[in-house]
Amino acid sequence: MLPEVTKDELLYSHGNEPSTVNKTGEWRFLTPKRSEKLSPCRHGCLLNGEIPVWMEAVKQERWDEAWQTMSRYNPFPALTGYTCFHPCTEECNRGQLDQVIDIPALERTVGQWRLDNYRSEARPQKNKGRVAVVGSGPAGMSCAYYLNEDGYAVTVFEREKVAGGMFALGIPEYRLPRRVLKRELSLLEDRGIKFTTGCSIGSDIPLAELYADFDQVFLSTGAWKPRLSGIKGEESRGVWNALEFLSRINKGEQVEVTDPVIVIGGGNAAVDSARSALRLKGVNHVSLIYRRSRAEMPAGQVEVEAAEHEGVELICNALPREINTDGQSVSGIIFDHCKTNREGLVVDRSRSFHKSCGTVIMALGQEVDYSLFDTLEKPAVIFAGGDLISGPATVPEAINAGRIAAMAIKARIKGLPAPMLFKSEQIPVGFEELNLEAKLNLQLQNKQENPSDEASRCLGCGTCNSCGICYLFCPDMAVDPVDGRFELNMDYCKGCGICFKECPSRALVMEGGR
Amino acid sequence: MRIEEMKRESEMLYAGHNACPGCGAALSVRFLTRALGSNIALVLTASCWSIIAGMPPLTALKCPILHCPFPSAGSVGSGVRRGLDAKGKHDTTVVVLAGDGGTFDIGLQALSGAAQRNEDYIFVCYDNEAYMNTGMQTSSATPFGARTNTAPYPLFKEGQKKDIMQIMAAHSIPYAATATVAFPEDLENKLKKAQEIKGFRFIHILSPCPPGWGTESGDTIHLSRLAVSTGFFPLYEIINGVSWKMTCMPEGKRVPLKEYLMGQRRFKQMEDIRIDALQEEVDHDWEMLMEKIGSSQPLK
Repeated sequence: MLPEVTKDELLYSHGNEPSTVNKTGEWRFLTPKRSEKLSPCRHGCLLNGEIPVWMEAVKQERWDEAWQTMSRYNPFPALTGYTCFHPCTEECNRGQLDQVIDIPALERTVGQWRLDNYRSEARPQKNKGRVAVVGSGPAGMSCAYYLNEDGYAVTVFEREKVAGGMFALGIPEYRLPRRVLKRELSLLEDRGIKFTTGCSIGSDIPLAELYADFDQVFLSTGAWKPRLSGIKGEESRGVWNALEFLSRINKGEQVEVTDPVIVIGGGNAAVDSARSALRLKGVNHVSLIYRRSRAEMPAGQVEVEAAEHEGVELICNALPREINTDGQSVSGIIFDHCKTNREGLVVDRSRSFHKSCGTVIMALGQEVDYSLFDTLEKPAVIFAGGDLISGPATVPEAINAGRIAAMAIKARIKGLPAPMLFKSEQIPVGFEELNLEAKLNLQLQNKQENPSDEASRCLGCGTCNSCGICYLFCPDMAVDPVDGRFELNMDYCKGCGICFKECPSRALVMEGGR
Repeated sequence: MRIEEMKRESEMLYAGHNACPGCGAALSVRFLTRALGSNIALVLTASCWSIIAGMPPLTALKCPILHCPFPSAGSVGSGVRRGLDAKGKHDTTVVVLAGDGGTFDIGLQALSGAAQRNEDYIFVCYDNEAYMNTGMQTSSATPFGARTNTAPYPLFKEGQKKDIMQIMAAHSIPYAATATVAFPEDLENKLKKAQEIKGFRFIHILSPCPPGWGTESGDTIHLSRLAVSTGFFPLYEIINGVSWKMTCMPEGKRVPLKEYLMGQRRFKQMEDIRIDALQEEVDHDWEMLMEKIGSSQPLK
């Protein structure tokens, strides 16, 4: 009979002490370090959002962290997920390989997660300071959110009966479901932000009074004044202004429209009006007429394509000369052929045509109404943002303006100098720079249904997205998974540089010395 | 892949082992323990791993290790297997780990004997293409044209690299496969497959050696990948010595061999005529392999 070997003897037949006492990090003369570079999506993002960072959290299904990361630059992912035109996806490096990452869908998923699971409690008022926000659109909401987050008492004044500004009145229901906006607004109210709707600053309360009552005031009243074209017949019945048309529909009011409908303009309001008009009862034909070529349209290409798909007739290079009326209502428009060259618009009167219609929607853009400022008696500093300052722009730009304004207001209240803003001069990581040889998840080529699968398609350009290549290929066990992340363990790293060379996202650098 | 999917409980390599920076052999054994689980017994013949495993009382592996003389790896493995069987420990996997010297040259007779007796263990050869531990002397695994310390400039290794896979296939062992560190999934799959088979199993792992090959330590994975994409080291498996199967085919056309050789100092002063000769040899071997794969019947 053979003697029984004890478990310990079997375990430690060679030696009984792990080699971990041997700190091989002393051998190192090059040190890998994390160095995150600018990704193309962040470069394209109008909010400067850290897209690859929250993408990694989505990949690991750490929803709370994804929301926390996102909220640093974008507090309303559910709203932007629907309304933003997502320039981030245009530059996505994955597009050069197969399909771009569906960032909008993931943004909506995180936003929806927040709306469903986030318990919103009133924020403690840890800072003294009362701020009034005038206008509850994207800029006002964003400014109110960031001030409230830091414990300031915020009151939002809104002229209309519903809060949300452009979200509620400018953007049609089919682009932004109203339940999302309602839930978002109720979350803000739960956090302790006061909304005073139906209260117009300037007529109901003078602006000077606000300055007297509150420590600081943020103005984000937007650009609602329609730009007039000055063509004949513009004032007649049956000619709508696009924003008024949209807000009447969004308020749920009856809109009288006679078929066929002509929308004049090439911006987002024009496309939204055309698509909304097509959804109205009794409307069978909608034409969208723009004076320049299709490529010059300021509206998002996705929206234009969707409008065409729905049956909107798109006519480019046509400038309206005159709106024909038969005393009571609109009967048609005379258009001139028109194109752009180096000198600007060139109108060719010889190639004009007539198009009959029952309704005209003018979407020639909006202007800023500065009359609010007239009532003011020289306050020291004015904080303002959104469309009021930039002119008609996009939702993300307004949200960004609100965030920056909140930073400035906080600094003002605390008596600190105004924050300096830097625009990153970095060049985003290009497709050629990525090391795709080691990438293990290239097999998922098409868009995935599951959000975490879709997020795992992200190449993480310039940002560690916990792909684990460094962990897998480290011969020295010097990469540890800690709390769902990989960290370099400098006690044992011999500085071989495999992690640096194999990192698919180029998120590491080698530095001289230990 | 998520972090939880990448982690393995059975990872048995401790940090602080004595391998050089960027060691392919250390990585090979790391993947080996990831694949085989914790219930293994390791037989180490004289090789780099004799050093990497640490000087007693330190150990770099959580499993039992038995060091053995250079030529005896095959026989000691047989002994350990039979010992464990006598104690009723049939579920413990015995792994014999040998370098290319302990497999191709010095250990060949014991290996051949064990393979012929169809001993029930896994023989893993981590091939760094020379006697790296003792100072880079030429072995029969060194490729044609390479410079080593026993063949310094203007000499070079003459003659082909020994085709150990054909030798093992000729023994008609149940399972033989090639693998390399750049393809950990492939490597782990092969080891897992081998673990489930009874009988003599042979795994040949190409493990780049930065000091011996004269490469940057960070290039280990890159070179290992190039070895596959140039066709210099194809990844395949042989079942029962007759059924040949490719497991990891290089995508598209094979990369010219020159790209693989260029990055290594041991091939630095290689003339074009010899590079062409080596390329021809690789092409020929590739065609032969494809012929074998094409003509062999897939076994159930």
